Amino acid sequence: MDKILIAFAAALAIGLPAIATAWAQSKIGSAGAGSLAEKPELSGTIIILVAIPETMVILGFVVAVIILLGG
Amino acid sequence: MMGEKTVIVKMSKVEIVGPRHLLGETLSLVRQKGDLHIEPSTVGFVDDMHRREIHSLLPDEKALFEKIFLEELETKLINLFACLPAETIRDSFLAPRPIIETVSKTLDKHLVTCREFCEKRDKIQHDLLELSQYKTFLATVSTLLEKIQLTPDLDYIGLTLKNEKAVDVLKDNLDCLTEASCELLTVPTKDGTLVGLIAATKDISENIRLLLDQKQMPEVTFPESIQNLPFVSKVEYLQKQIQENEATLQAVDTKLMEFTHRWGPMYKAVLDWVREQLSIIQASVFSFETAMCFFIYGWMPTEKVASLSGSLQKNFAGSVVLEEIEIRTEDLDRIPVVLQNPQYFKPFENFTRLLPLPSYTSFDPTPFIGLFFPLFFGLILGDAGYGLVLFVLSVVMKRVAQKQRLFQDAIKILRICSLYAIMFGLLYGEFLGDFGHKMLGLKPLFIDRQKNIIPMLYFAMAIGLAHVTLGLAMGFVSALRRHTKKEALAKLINIVFIFLIVALIITFIGLFPELLTRPLIISIIVLCPLLLFSGGLLAPLELLKNIGNIISYARIMAIGLTSVLLANVANQLSGLTGDIFLGFIVGGIIHLIGIIIGVFSSSIHSLRLHYVEFFDKFIELGGRKYSPFSGNQKKGTDTDISHSSSEPHDKLYESPRKSS
Repeated sequence: MDKILIAFAAALAIGLPAIATAWAQSKIGSAGAGSLAEKPELSGTIIILVAIPETMVILGFVVAVIILLGG
Repeated sequence: MMGEKTVIVKMSKVEIVGPRHLLGETLSLVRQKGDLHIEPSTVGFVDDMHRREIHSLLPDEKALFEKIFLEELETKLINLFACLPAETIRDSFLAPRPIIETVSKTLDKHLVTCREFCEKRDKIQHDLLELSQYKTFLATVSTLLEKIQLTPDLDYIGLTLKNEKAVDVLKDNLDCLTEASCELLTVPTKDGTLVGLIAATKDISENIRLLLDQKQMPEVTFPESIQNLPFVSKVEYLQKQIQENEATLQAVDTKLMEFTHRWGPMYKAVLDWVREQLSIIQASVFSFETAMCFFIYGWMPTEKVASLSGSLQKNFAGSVVLEEIEIRTEDLDRIPVVLQNPQYFKPFENFTRLLPLPSYTSFDPTPFIGLFFPLFFGLILGDAGYGLVLFVLSVVMKRVAQKQRLFQDAIKILRICSLYAIMFGLLYGEFLGDFGHKMLGLKPLFIDRQKNIIPMLYFAMAIGLAHVTLGLAMGFVSALRRHTKKEALAKLINIVFIFLIVALIITFIGLFPELLTRPLIISIIVLCPLLLFSGGLLAPLELLKNIGNIISYARIMAIGLTSVLLANVANQLSGLTGDIFLGFIVGGIIHLIGIIIGVFSSSIHSLRLHYVEFFDKFIELGGRKYSPFSGNQKKGTDTDISHSSSEPHDKLYESPRKSS
């Protein structure tokens, strides 16, 4: 039972941030694509903006690894 | 460009002063040297006390007439070159200034002549374009005409057929309609279609035309003017027309070519001179004057100051003087930025260009990307096999590479990154995943990242700690350069805080003695007020962001792990096929996908670590672009004609070496 709970917790730890990141990137990405069409010089800023939410899923991954291996 | 150092080039604030009548010659010399970025404003150059005495130089009536004359001349010359063929023009040995009056008179006459030729050429080209639709038909049908018995009783219908099948269908229909009293001859053309000619008696020709309409096989229609001629005459007339037009076009082209060879060099020299004069007049607007003197303010690389100063001294015997002015703190935002990188870092400038220019007191991001991007790429991909494939790919692509600069740069970056991937592949003991371990006995020299996930996580975070701390340290130096001591203090305290927190975490894990816990906590508490003082109320948030940034480097481990697991899946699946050939194909395809994903994700995440986590700490963006007043600058100014003209104008921008 413990193993199932641990696996479930790890799945949640990475799954939820992954969904959140995907949602944030979809919003930023579509807005960024619109901005790029008008101002191509903003490409650097838009890459940064799209990349920012990725930290969430990386943090989730770290927590999941800690749950699985350290828990 | 200027040595092999990796810095933002040191700039000097300069002032050029001389008697008013020497302004034109001075600007001409400055343009020739091409190092001075002229400042259109006196802000930061003239103090309030002297501002009333110095005012913008306003062009007099003579200068305005000269400008109008030169602009008209330039437009005429551009129109002339638009008529001429795209031929490389040699340099002229004539000095344009003494002959400018004569040139302006002959130019009008030549322009009219060339326009006439041009219009004639356009008309012939238009006619030839219209006649070109008959070219294939005429070339093919002429062979058919010889085969048909020419009699006045027969009518001829020309048509184009898609393929042999269409010929069969048409033949069947014609047989039914005319009971074989007509003849269809076809000849294949170069483009795969067939040209057909139906010879029929005049009484049934109309029925055949109706049939062709029904079957959607359109008859070749001839121009309106020759509709009443017999078929053979139509063909002969069109053939003659094409020949005549081609001959006339060649004659016109020859005349224009002769004109270009004879007059082109002189007009090109005049156009260059006119452009130079116009740029000088335009630059003189950014000059300033008093009752007796002119002033030019600007910025230039410090190492070029002596050269320009010497040239002014030599040309004007001390009448025109260049002086360096002290750069004050409030000038720092106005100083134009020139980036200077050694050859190794040049390809990485493509990544830097995605960001705005750094400010003068900041750092050039290129060398940091050049050093750390391949390192992170190697750390993430870390497979000797994949690295080897990428290296071979870069070598092959270099051989087939075109002259596109971006493509060549990408190949150079790929090669460097592939070497890092090979190096880390050997350190991780990976060659196409676990293939190297199982088949070649390859063992990890440093760490096995498949099995040691937690140590690899610590390693990735340690890299993050080093990278982020380096960024903060650079930010500290950058703040000191800008004389913002409070910001410098905030950066320093952030560094200390991060190390204290990391030491505390290590103590909790048990790697440091537990005895250290209390002094570490006390140090953190003591530093808190100092942190708030230096960074304000948002300082704790900034600190949390920095710690988050360090954790973000865990992606080096995370993405690397997915890469190696995908490689292992490829090996396992290829093993499951039970056949060497099939296993090779399956493994190859999945490894290929792994390489593509690996290259893409490693690049994106390495860049992200730079843009978001690293540069944020020390690079102040928003630098001013350095645009020196030079001959090359002309292309970007208002009088640039490249946008309004067609292809032939390209030759006007060729270097003298090329033209000769």
